[in-house]
Amino acid sequence: MFKAFQYKPILTKEDIQSHQKKKRAKTSNMKGTIGRIWQLVDEQRILLLVVLAMVFLSSVGMLLGPLLIGRMIDEQILPKNLIGIGPTLILLAGIYIMVSITLFLQNYWMIGIAQQTVYRLRTQLFEKYQRLPISFFDRKQHGDLMSRMTNDLDNVSSTLNSTFIEVFSSALILTGTFTFMMILSPLLTIVTMIIIPMMFLATKWITRRTGPLFKKQQATLGALNGMVEETISGQYVVKAYSQEERMIRQFEENGQRLRRTGYWANVYSGGIPKVMNFLNNVSFAIVAGFGGYLAYKGHVTIGIVVIFVEYARQFTRPLNELANQFNNVLSAIAGAERIFEILDEPEEVEEGTKSLTKRLAGNITFDHVDFKYDPQKEPYILQNVNFNIHSGETVALVGATGAGKTTIMQLMARFYETTSGQIRIDNQPIEQISREDLRNQMAFVLQDPFLFEASILENIRYGRLNATDEEIIEACKQANAHAFIEQLEDGYHHVLKPEASDLSQGQKQLLSIARALIADPAILLLDEATSSIDTVTELHIQRALNHLMKGRTSVVIAHRLNTVKNADRIFVMEQGQLVEQGTPKELIEKQGIYYGMLQQGKAIE
Amino acid sequence: MRKVFSYIGPYKWAALVAFMLMLVELAVELVQPLIMAKIIDEGVVAGNLHTVILWGSIMLGLGVLAFIAGISNGFFSGHAAQSFAYDLRVALFKKVQSYSMHSFLKVPTSSMITRITNDVTQVQNIFFMSLRFMMRAPLVVIGSLVMAFLVNAKLAIFLVIGIPFLLIFLWFMVRKGAKNFGKVQRRVDQVNRNIQENLQATRLIKAYMRGVYESTKFNQLAVALKTDTMKALRLMERIQPVLLIVMNGALLVILWLGAKEIQADRMPVGDLVAIFNYTMRITGNFSMFAMIITFFSRASASANRMNEILSMDEVQTVQENKEHSPYYVEARHITFKYDEEGKFILHDVSFAANRGDTIAVMGATGSGKSSLLQLLPRLYDATEGTIFVEGKDVKSYDPHDLRQKIGYVPQRSLLFTGTIFENITWGNEHATLEEVEHVCKIAQIHETIMRFPDGYETRVGQKGVNLSGGQKQRIAIARALIRQPELFIFDDSMSALDLTTEAKLWQALNEYEDATRFVVTQKIATAKSATCILLMDQGEVVAQGTHEELLENSALYREIVASQQEVNTNV
Repeated sequence: MFKAFQYKPILTKEDIQSHQKKKRAKTSNMKGTIGRIWQLVDEQRILLLVVLAMVFLSSVGMLLGPLLIGRMIDEQILPKNLIGIGPTLILLAGIYIMVSITLFLQNYWMIGIAQQTVYRLRTQLFEKYQRLPISFFDRKQHGDLMSRMTNDLDNVSSTLNSTFIEVFSSALILTGTFTFMMILSPLLTIVTMIIIPMMFLATKWITRRTGPLFKKQQATLGALNGMVEETISGQYVVKAYSQEERMIRQFEENGQRLRRTGYWANVYSGGIPKVMNFLNNVSFAIVAGFGGYLAYKGHVTIGIVVIFVEYARQFTRPLNELANQFNNVLSAIAGAERIFEILDEPEEVEEGTKSLTKRLAGNITFDHVDFKYDPQKEPYILQNVNFNIHSGETVALVGATGAGKTTIMQLMARFYETTSGQIRIDNQPIEQISREDLRNQMAFVLQDPFLFEASILENIRYGRLNATDEEIIEACKQANAHAFIEQLEDGYHHVLKPEASDLSQGQKQLLSIARALIADPAILLLDEATSSIDTVTELHIQRALNHLMKGRTSVVIAHRLNTVKNADRIFVMEQGQLVEQGTPKELIEKQGIYYGMLQQGKAIE
Repeated sequence: MRKVFSYIGPYKWAALVAFMLMLVELAVELVQPLIMAKIIDEGVVAGNLHTVILWGSIMLGLGVLAFIAGISNGFFSGHAAQSFAYDLRVALFKKVQSYSMHSFLKVPTSSMITRITNDVTQVQNIFFMSLRFMMRAPLVVIGSLVMAFLVNAKLAIFLVIGIPFLLIFLWFMVRKGAKNFGKVQRRVDQVNRNIQENLQATRLIKAYMRGVYESTKFNQLAVALKTDTMKALRLMERIQPVLLIVMNGALLVILWLGAKEIQADRMPVGDLVAIFNYTMRITGNFSMFAMIITFFSRASASANRMNEILSMDEVQTVQENKEHSPYYVEARHITFKYDEEGKFILHDVSFAANRGDTIAVMGATGSGKSSLLQLLPRLYDATEGTIFVEGKDVKSYDPHDLRQKIGYVPQRSLLFTGTIFENITWGNEHATLEEVEHVCKIAQIHETIMRFPDGYETRVGQKGVNLSGGQKQRIAIARALIRQPELFIFDDSMSALDLTTEAKLWQALNEYEDATRFVVTQKIATAKSATCILLMDQGEVVAQGTHEELLENSALYREIVASQQEVNTNV
């Protein structure tokens, strides 16, 4: 049948029949996941106990109602003696009202508990994202990380909303029924129990398949989310290259994968109630047959068999429910595991303990620094880089693209850790300084400026959170951004569109410079800060920048030699190595690589 | 909503089969009590083992039937639900892909993502569950009501007396619920947007150590999402208690009246017991009923959100225009603004270029250079005026055919997750490795790529994070070259290249001497060799001509030249 719908089975034997060892690891992992969710739920223990009390009350009420009515029929209606029926009816009304109220309250509070738990997981995940190293984000698709925050948490959320109450009330009914059955006939009770191992085995058979399927489903959904996010945020390129058809094809492939996993997850998990129902019928037949036989032999009364048959049904219903809930829990686990997977990622390497109480002087030393992104793999991005930058100096990094200039800056800010060698700032090894204090004394203008979907004021204030509006306007004037901001409809209160699509690249750079100006840092790092700005505007900013660089250490990357010429010293990089350094004058006199670059530049012009 | 559910269409047979199978299950379930009664009355009570075995086997047989029906149902409903969801997703994605950039910007990307993934899941879930088991609840309720009427209409009338009230109540709840869940989905959008922004800004946030600040901001969104979710779910939790109160109230009335009837001998006790049993069955299904209502409101909120996407006007239309231009590219009196309320970005821009020309576009930041060039491949349409490519009005082209001619290298060189090879052949799927190597040599990136341990198979992270700015730009250029375009648009796409590399690249580009080039540049060196320079200021072309002509005629141009000469005088 599935061939007709083109659903190839996707589970491999290994997915299902894991080795004994792997299985143990898996179950303990599952227990761990449940345990970790439980810890969060348990933080609201008092509310949880209240919910349990409500579940207890409503269950009792729901059992008591029919019992009272039965007695009323037997004792009052049948003998046609209606005296006392009034009070019973009033009592019943009371019970029913209680049931409604307690049902409402248990769900009301449980929703609170569940959403609070989800909220805690969500914020924990977000805070974790803040503490993960840059290299983590280099590897992951944004859309997949977003999916964990929404789609995976949704799984946890919907399970928590219902499962807890269901499990508890099922357990309650189960215990009650079991007790009654034992009192009535231990022998028949044991006969009824025969199907429990079968139920257990069936549930196990199914959940061993749904577990991996749910996990695959969430991962596929994450991948789909990743693909959509990337395509949509790069839509203008897709359009310009008219690659819509291709993107749609790619999407269809991802979608088909999701459809297939979803199909099998649906088929298997939908099987649970069906199997349980069937086993119910088996159990009923057994009880009726065996009970009939016992009654025939005179071991039990017929009345007991009749009641027992009813109880046997009542007994299996909560068992069904439990099996179902187990399946729900697996789907929540599939989501939760993807969240915990992130929460367990190693964070940025241990914070330095030394906090900076004073403003940095800004001496930077690179001592035999090597760097590669992946410690296990070539290539080296930087090799044996040595230099000293003195307090207050302006140093320009020049060299071909990919020579390692940006990497040097990123290492200064400890975005990455050196592979070997040491970086010192004011003679302290950089890894000993608290990362927060270190970066608080630095300001960056990054290659690709990013602005938030917020007002211009807020975007600039990002550089220093307590900056006043006046200071911001002043910074924007210095950065030559004031004029175009004034032309915007709401001026400084203009709220930028997503990814600042309403500004030109150059305007973004101007704002990003203003943001660095407002930060008033000890060390200023400018990575191609003016590459998209026209040269006339740049001349104006250059004055502001020169002013800004006074009294602080500045490192500047630029291709326009015009931008570089005012530097105190120039470092020339080539293929990850520092090949030349000196004042512009020295380098020209030396007639080395930098000189060659200048000559070429001239020749080109 | 109707539009969304029309995607069930192709699977209506699978859905119908699933539904029928569910009815089989339900029928077995309804027959069971009768058989049970038979087993007990005629078998156990009468002490007739034979009857017990006979009816027991029948019951087991029916059980097997129900089991088979139930399991087969899974295949059909799974197929219907998953395929429906798949079709819906693809339809949404296709729709989004067909938007013009103009409509595209109306819905934030994060919201589009939520709609394509999360909202579809919501609708898919209710569809699957309806086919699987949820439709049973209403059927049981209706069936039980009918049975109660058959037993004793006079009493059963009390069971339905509250129904009009309940219907109004449920209608109200569904509407309110849909509104609330719509709000929840919008909150999900916001959360999504915030994370997306954070992921895009990772380096900036780290640079300024704003982790705590961002967490505080996010916390507000998370609290809002929590509060709204709780509000929506809690509202729906009112359904079950209210249903129960009404039903149980009716039951009490029935008991009271029934007792009187029995006392007056107008009714047998059995009737009362039967009605009581049916009422219990109805109330037993109420929790499922409440769940349906909740899911339904949620799904309808999501369906509305998807409808917004599906019914937005989309493609740029093709408008015939008989006018022709003698030039390869010509712009006649172009004005442009991004949206109707917005300001004009371009005023009355005109220019022309022949095949093989190089047009340099210069001007201050924000003067409209990028906006102007985006009009050539029809990423946007000019508000007024006409642009001609190959002599034809761009609006009379199918955008696909038009863009096929154009190699557009945007200012921000956006790469996609995948290998370098995949990124370059993104411009032309059928390109061979030799062709790729050839264009990479022209783009001055071949040697760099070969130095990577995995060469062309090197993985590029999202947006090309692990490459330097200049490397990304050159790969983006190679991606344009592989299309063998007739018209190049370089939107300041060499800003991260050093002069030497850029010069080599221009040299190598001479291979495409027939191609027309538009180059946004800040560098006089590049502009010098152009056939024509368009000098822009505040959305207008203030001067155009060759380097020499502009040197003579334009003060602004002289200023630009001066700003770049300083370096030479200083050295």
